Amino acid sequence: MLSRVVFAAAATAAPCLKNAAVLGPGVLQATRAFHTGQPCLTPVPPLPEYGGKVRLGLIPEEFFQYLYPKTGVTGPYMLGTGLSLYCLSKEIYVITPETFSTIAVVGLMVYVIKKYGASIGEFIDKLNEQKIAQLEEVKQASIKQIQDAIDGEKAQQALVQKRHYLFDVQRNNIAMALEVTYRERLHRVYKEVKNRLDYHISMQDMIRRKEQEHMIDWVEKQVVQSISAQQEKETITKCIQDLKLLAKKAQAQPVM
Amino acid sequence: MASLVPLKEKKLMEVKLGELPSWILMRDFTPKGIAGAFQRGYDRYYNKYINVRKGSISGVNMILAAYVLFSYCISYKELRSEEA
Repeated sequence: MLSRVVFAAAATAAPCLKNAAVLGPGVLQATRAFHTGQPCLTPVPPLPEYGGKVRLGLIPEEFFQYLYPKTGVTGPYMLGTGLSLYCLSKEIYVITPETFSTIAVVGLMVYVIKKYGASIGEFIDKLNEQKIAQLEEVKQASIKQIQDAIDGEKAQQALVQKRHYLFDVQRNNIAMALEVTYRERLHRVYKEVKNRLDYHISMQDMIRRKEQEHMIDWVEKQVVQSISAQQEKETITKCIQDLKLLAKKAQAQPVM
Repeated sequence: MASLVPLKEKKLMEVKLGELPSWILMRDFTPKGIAGAFQRGYDRYYNKYINVRKGSISGVNMILAAYVLFSYCISYKELRSEEA
């Protein structure tokens, strides 16, 4: 009775259980014992493509390989036949009415699996591929994000190397301002000194001019004083005679 | 003597027949050891037949067949007395 329930349950659950739980708890992870030792850095092996081979859907291939050297190819089958006949004949397996329903259910299951197994498998494989692709996407996105963060950090670090430009510019500005004030003050000093020197020069010029004028005046006064009255009369008569001569000469010439 | 692997670390297939009782007695029978053994068996079966890209029905089928056999063994006595 229990076997029939099991088989019925398997018939309904078979399609979705066929390729279920691909990403279950069996995925290996890097073991880490709370940072006490070196973390195991071997890369996670990829999912195997196919499971272990199984013959008749029940018996793993390893059993057949184990018996092959001693009994050849037909050994395990003979063993199976012999065992089942022994169980039947010795009534270790009792034939009850359930046996026939078991045979019918098993036959039906085998027929269904043989006919629709491949297509259902493909469908579920597609679902699995979608799941795996989604996770891969997340992984790639995470990797890309971290890579971008690393690049950003590197750029910042590179900027730090170029800080000195800023300071050089400031230093240049300050040096120029100092130079400008220095030259300004130099110019002012020059102007002030020139001012004072000009003052002295103009004073000297003025004094010399005054002396010249004074001397000229004094000489004139002396000369005028020296001319006595009699000399003056003589000079005047001489001038009148000269003028008369000149007048005669002048009259004579245009007539000729 | 250094080339011989100590008895405790041999796997079952490498243990010779005479050493079998001492090997069995040396196994870890604490609750933690037993739980670890179950976990190891589960992981081995799981990784071989179910945790693959293209699994087949045999992964589940073998478990169900083993359950059928086990339940038959449990109810064998009842079947014998019922039939007689």
